[in-house]
Amino acid sequence: MTRDRLIELINQIFVDQFELEPEELTPEKRIFEDFALDSLDIVDLITGLQRKFGISLRDNKDVQQIRTLQDIYDLVEKLARDNPDLIAKLPE
Amino acid sequence: MPEWQGLVPVGSDHVSAAPVAISPEKSKSIKRHYRRSMGNAALFATLAAQQAVVESGLAAEILGNGRAGCIISSTIGSSSEVYESTKAVIEHRFNDLSACQFFRIVSHSSAFNVANFFGINGVQLSPCSACASSLQSIGLAYEQILAGRQELFLAGGSDEVTPIVLGSFRHLYALADSDELPPEELSRPFDARRCGLVCGEGAGILVVEEYEHARRRQAPVLAEIIGYATNCTGTQISQSDSASIEACMRLALADAQIAPDDVDYVSAHATSTVAGDREEAAAIRAVFGDRVPVSSVKGQLGHTLGASGGIETAAVLAMMRHGVILPNANLAAVAEDCAGLDLPAAPRQQPVRTVVKNCIAFGGVNATLIMRSAEAGA
Repeated sequence: MTRDRLIELINQIFVDQFELEPEELTPEKRIFEDFALDSLDIVDLITGLQRKFGISLRDNKDVQQIRTLQDIYDLVEKLARDNPDLIAKLPE
Repeated sequence: MPEWQGLVPVGSDHVSAAPVAISPEKSKSIKRHYRRSMGNAALFATLAAQQAVVESGLAAEILGNGRAGCIISSTIGSSSEVYESTKAVIEHRFNDLSACQFFRIVSHSSAFNVANFFGINGVQLSPCSACASSLQSIGLAYEQILAGRQELFLAGGSDEVTPIVLGSFRHLYALADSDELPPEELSRPFDARRCGLVCGEGAGILVVEEYEHARRRQAPVLAEIIGYATNCTGTQISQSDSASIEACMRLALADAQIAPDDVDYVSAHATSTVAGDREEAAAIRAVFGDRVPVSSVKGQLGHTLGASGGIETAAVLAMMRHGVILPNANLAAVAEDCAGLDLPAAPRQQPVRTVVKNCIAFGGVNATLIMRSAEAGA
């Protein structure tokens, strides 16, 4: 259930900030090649995730390894495991 | 509605600003990839440039062949974005900053956003000079083409109404504010009851092109730029100065190799401020006497700041096409200090062949562009 909610919130960032259609957002999609995001968009993705989940990602080395939407789901899920507060404070 | 819109000063129950409402559908007609780096000024410029490119029949291959440039300027990049981002930084809301914030704020934002949108890869310039910005852009495009550096430019300006600009004008007593006049009558260039300017916003973009290049591609030629000059007072940053305005017009006439008698119409800067209109009226009187009709469209449009030169030059081209001079709106009684000019208060049907267009800006900047209609030999 929590994982579904995390995915829903992450997908919301892609819909709101990058104006993608919800049906395009499947886990295997590559964010640069399939969504045509670039380095400026990645900065906005990081701040979007920080805002949504109340976490700090700017200096997180794992961010640099993100290639697919699945990678983002996995990263946020890992952060949630390490930080129970993240789940407790998830936006409604 | 952004918070800052509630801070736009509106005088004593009077509206001293005329903001443009752009629908989300209109904005989204520009793809997110391009739109993300645009504040309102750049958005206005891009929408206006689209109209100019379509009307001129410009193909993408021409815009991207290295011989086309882009000269577009504004008073302050995007002043609404300056406000929003400064507030976010002061409040430590760094997650609310866009990666594109810088690209929306910088002074040449409209120029590079338009260049990027159309794939223009020649000269890109942005001679920001407050209210003379866009006339200087058009003049600079003319000079670049004369020098053989480019075949054509998208040239003009864009600007926004925000508290940064309006609050500054108001503090200087330059913003119209009257309990006696309804909002639509507040902007009244050369009138005895003028009491300051009314701000507008928008963009005016023109295709400025080498004549033979335009002929070869069978572009609609609306007018020929035949002279241009810009100077400054060197003594004043806030007050217009009749002597330097007169000098600027005379330099432009010399550049065009024409005499004052050859001019059919003067499109004045005249913003409806007490001192500005007085100084420009004195300069025009010294050069043209009362022989040439003079009007300012700021009574109709308000003062669109860095966009005014581009928008008002487009208005001049329309006047040439229709053979009519737009009047000085709201001119009920000519002010004593603006007397001795021919100031139409109603539309006047007459050939509009050779036109002098003035812009005057804070910083002591003057600019004068002289155009000749296509029918008159362009």
